[in-house]
Amino acid sequence: MTTEKPVEKVILASNEGTKITVDREVACRSVLIKNLIDDLGDEAVANDAIPLMNVNSAVLNKVVEWCEHHRNDVAQSGDDENDNRKKTTDIDEWDQKFMQVDQEMLFEIILAANYMDIKALLDVGCKTVANMIKGKSPEEIRKTFNITNDFTPEEEEQIRRENEWAEDR
Amino acid sequence: MAPIAQPPRDDVDQTWKFLRNGIDRIMTNLQDGLDLRDYMNLYTTVHNFCTSQKAVSFNTSQVGAHRGAHLLGEDLYKLLTEYLTEHLNGLVAESQTHTDEALLAYYIREWDRYTNAAKYIHHIFRYLNRHWVKREMDEGKKSIYDVYILHLVKWRDVLFFKVKDKVMEAVLKLIERHRNGETIEHKQIKLVVESFISLGLDEADSSKPTLEVYRYHFEKPFLDATKVFYQNESKQFVAENSVVEYMKKAETRIAEEEERVGLYLHGDIIIPLKKACNQVLIEEHSNLLREEFQVLLDNNREDDMKRMYSLLSRISGGLDPLRLKFEAHVRNAGLTAVSKVASDADKLEPKVYVDALLETHTQYQGLVKRAFNDEPEFTRSLDNACREFVNRNQVCKLGSNKSPELLAKYSDVLLRKSSTGVEDATLEDTLTQLMTVFKYIEDKDVFQKYYSRMLARRLVHSNSSSDDAETSMISKLKEACGFEYTNKLQRMFTDMQISKDLNIGFKEHVAGLVDEKTTLDSTYSILGTGFWPLIPPTTNFNPPQEIQQDCERFIRYYKTKHDGRKLTWLWQLCKGEVKATYIKNTKMPYTFQVSAYQLAILLLFNHHDKNTYEEISMSTALNTDPLDQILAILLKAKVLISDNGKVAPGSTFSLNYDFKNKKFRVNLNVGMKSEAKQEEAETNKTIEEDRRLLLQSAIVRIMKARKRMKHQQLVSETIAQIKGRFVPKVADIKKCIEILLDKEYLERLEDEDLGYLA
Repeated sequence: MTTEKPVEKVILASNEGTKITVDREVACRSVLIKNLIDDLGDEAVANDAIPLMNVNSAVLNKVVEWCEHHRNDVAQSGDDENDNRKKTTDIDEWDQKFMQVDQEMLFEIILAANYMDIKALLDVGCKTVANMIKGKSPEEIRKTFNITNDFTPEEEEQIRRENEWAEDR
Repeated sequence: MAPIAQPPRDDVDQTWKFLRNGIDRIMTNLQDGLDLRDYMNLYTTVHNFCTSQKAVSFNTSQVGAHRGAHLLGEDLYKLLTEYLTEHLNGLVAESQTHTDEALLAYYIREWDRYTNAAKYIHHIFRYLNRHWVKREMDEGKKSIYDVYILHLVKWRDVLFFKVKDKVMEAVLKLIERHRNGETIEHKQIKLVVESFISLGLDEADSSKPTLEVYRYHFEKPFLDATKVFYQNESKQFVAENSVVEYMKKAETRIAEEEERVGLYLHGDIIIPLKKACNQVLIEEHSNLLREEFQVLLDNNREDDMKRMYSLLSRISGGLDPLRLKFEAHVRNAGLTAVSKVASDADKLEPKVYVDALLETHTQYQGLVKRAFNDEPEFTRSLDNACREFVNRNQVCKLGSNKSPELLAKYSDVLLRKSSTGVEDATLEDTLTQLMTVFKYIEDKDVFQKYYSRMLARRLVHSNSSSDDAETSMISKLKEACGFEYTNKLQRMFTDMQISKDLNIGFKEHVAGLVDEKTTLDSTYSILGTGFWPLIPPTTNFNPPQEIQQDCERFIRYYKTKHDGRKLTWLWQLCKGEVKATYIKNTKMPYTFQVSAYQLAILLLFNHHDKNTYEEISMSTALNTDPLDQILAILLKAKVLISDNGKVAPGSTFSLNYDFKNKKFRVNLNVGMKSEAKQEEAETNKTIEEDRRLLLQSAIVRIMKARKRMKHQQLVSETIAQIKGRFVPKVADIKKCIEILLDKEYLERLEDEDLGYLA
């Protein structure tokens, strides 16, 4: 797959068909898109939009916004077990603001990050959710995420006993 | 753009049907390109299947409880594996229709296509890799790989093992054609090598490549074939050509093989390939090569020896026999060179002898440098050989001290003032060369003896050619043997300097004396007894009045400077000049350069025109022997005339008034033969005595430090200490130990031990 000149911009299409043009570098925060360009070559993406069939426009815009902001981040090596960010729930300020969206959107972003293979964004999303859980009682968590308690009181008591060791005293 | 129909995300069959269709296109028809949408479709399909909530795999219920969230994908992985097996079996079947180069081309083409496709499929299945495969691998499942690695594993297991023999056969045929000088497609082999290397997968960590597959399936057959090829070739070549030609051939072949590695082999092979080549091309013919070495040496074929050296240096222990032969050859060459000049050993010129030694050394040192890479081991062989022929040759048979003696004499020839004086620049070079021989001399103490004796003579007679050269030689000796070795030599120089100052002081002192006038212009040298190898005169002597007076004056002066020192007059070393004003037929008076003894005799004729033998003997008090010799010399020089033409009791001597000579300065002070001979004998005698002392002092030094030692150990320590000077005999050391025991420096203790008595 030969190219005369590297493509600078690529077009992304949401599942509704909305197109958004972004810098190649920004798009390549997504490993999916990066691999795709590597495989198919620049020609293939020069004029055609890349159809991201599992992402809607609103979410895609959000994802692109995040990628734009983080375009110069040092690329995280794929599955680095020693990644510090994994072990802490600290989130930088911009990302915290970015994640101040309704729950629906938050989950959509996480799913899109998973689909598009943007590890850092996936991490930020999951941390945000983790922070929402942290320090809350089961009841509060149920309330937060709108979960119906389908345990019987006996079942619940048993689980509590089994996990007693983990509770704060 | 209309959304593309996706298979239902939770339906395995439909999903796979869709994926298989795409994978097949990638695998077999990638040249037609893959559409952007198709690519995304396939990726999304994998993603969707793996994220579908409802897709129920058959073992979910068993494992799920343990793992928490269940990850989907096992089905896809299994189906993909099955597909690859099927595809590869197809390739194997097709490969059967090809042989040789066509098979190579086929293998390379399919390998290239397959790995390319694998990269695509790997990306398309990335979601599977990221989650299901990762989880399986984290849990330690050995037979689950990343999708790309899975491709390689399947290639290896399904295809490779079935075709590799035929592929290698083709590769080896190609290489053989290359070795036979044909032009071949290097690239094919290079690609096969790369493919083999890619298939080396570490079972413990599949992301790390190993060279295992390559080593076993490529390197081994390749090396075997190489050996067979060169075994046959070299056997035939040796049978039809000379050894020299064979060496050239082997050299070329080895260079070719090394080049081959760069052309199309993996760099890793260079060491085993070299080893294989070295074995069949050199080691298996090493005896043949070595047998040729003597011939090359005899004919001085430097280039061929260099070639042989470089070939044999490639195999372990290859050079040892060469070194032995070289050493023996150099020794013989040295011995031959010596015996050539030694035909008349008694009259052997020191220069001729030393030059013969040097020439051999220079020639073979050059050979070591040029042909043997200046290798230390060869230099050691050269040194061994030189040490042998310097210390044990035909000349040395006449007297074991001949080598150091002749060398010292040569140094004297060089350093003495002479009409055929050597120029300063070449003198320095010659001295350096002389040191080369000196290095090999075992009896360095003998050299020291002769050298100091001759240096003493040079200094006393002030006929040293240059102070700089003397100093340079001393510092060379010091560098070679240490401070102690040259200590006395250096003191001799110091004495000469002190004497010079002393004489100036004496002259001033004499000038200040009003009443005592002298006709004598005298110079004195004060030489420390311990440092100068000089002995008091062997004859009585009554110095003439004129000299006696001046001497006494000097003694008085000296005593004021250094009270309590004893002065011994070495008359045999004194010399002077007299003007012969009595001779007719000349306007210029002759000047005679004479020894003190001659002077004493001649001065007698100032008082009487005729002196009888008895009169002379009486007034000079000289012993008969030297007196007869001196008179004979004066008679022969026609300075004196004997009434009966003889030197004997009863003869009467008178001055020859008709003395004639071409020169106005006549040197009558020619050395007396008997004196020189005596000196030499004296030197040799003192050597034995000095050695005994040297040994004893070494033994005492060692024992003082150790206090207690085994006899045997003491002997070997002593040898170690003393061998810089000479090579001691064990028997001599034992004798010295006995002497020291008698003198109670040492005592015998139990167990053969010796103790030191303070």
